[in-house]
Amino acid sequence: MPRDPLEALHLPVIPVEPRSQFAAALLRRIQGAPEPAAHAATVRYFVDDMDAAVAFYSHALGFEEELRPAPAFAMLYRGDLRLLLSLPTEPHALGDGTLPVPGTGFNRMSLRVTDLVGTVDALRAQGVSLATAITAGPTVHTVLLRDPAGNLVELFEPRGSGYHERPSTPTTEESP
Amino acid sequence: MAAIYPVALPQVYGYLLPRCGSVAVAEDLTAETFMAAVAASRRPPPPHVTVAWLIGIARHKLVDHWRRAEREHRGLAAAELELPAGEDPWHEVLDAQAAHAALLRLSLPQRTALTLRYLDGLPVAEVARHLDRSLHATETLLVRARSALRRIYREEEHHAA
Repeated sequence: MPRDPLEALHLPVIPVEPRSQFAAALLRRIQGAPEPAAHAATVRYFVDDMDAAVAFYSHALGFEEELRPAPAFAMLYRGDLRLLLSLPTEPHALGDGTLPVPGTGFNRMSLRVTDLVGTVDALRAQGVSLATAITAGPTVHTVLLRDPAGNLVELFEPRGSGYHERPSTPTTEESP
Repeated sequence: MAAIYPVALPQVYGYLLPRCGSVAVAEDLTAETFMAAVAASRRPPPPHVTVAWLIGIARHKLVDHWRRAEREHRGLAAAELELPAGEDPWHEVLDAQAAHAALLRLSLPQRTALTLRYLDGLPVAEVARHLDRSLHATETLLVRARSALRRIYREEEHHAA
């Protein structure tokens, strides 16, 4: 079989020194590369009134509004928790067409606070609806609130030495 | 990574520069290659960091770059994309070889295919994997790319004569 003339295109790697400023700058980037940031844990809640929900999570619970790119969606952060708020619209339907119903069910996010009694007093003063009184568990005090759509939010404060939480570790990025 | 850097940098850059034909693009892709390698070496299991491994990452970055450029500038001539006026990418690296010069004027998919197949010497199956195309589609692309290259190469020869 005759040799393929295009084999003449073969280009072995011949080392080329790049500009010295470029080489030095890249070395600094490599040495100073920060550990990959931990990705925030994410929770999605369905709400029926986006303005009221964003106001509640921002003012009552200390979330920061990050994005609100569309009327049916908002993204908020509280430390390393990312909260997605959505209106229960068509894209969120299950396979059988069932739409989410805001304010139903008992699942909830659980937020750690440092002064539960003081926090609850402040929330009461803001007119936030409490679903329970403060209750004492073996390792935490908890209280349940309702957001304007009726979704539950749990607040807790650790009590005593039995409380356990794994120290956070950085998560990884995608492969190159 | 810092340990292998002095040896690996000229190899990675030397791989990228003649293939992409632009100092600016070669620098960007070299930086992307090393930063991706740093990220990968922090993930378990740690990779065995060699020049060959780094050049493999550089090849991925080069193909990604061309695919991105193809998506963004679909329909533009490759020469307009990659060769801004006044830039002579070859003088400090290699003698301008007519076939390599002609390669720069191909469309990006054709150029990517020929670069992987001939400049890098990869088997067709591996070219297909890089391009995310079927073997058959890759073979067709290579045939068309070869004939486009021959046409441009002959034109250049004609102009030079």
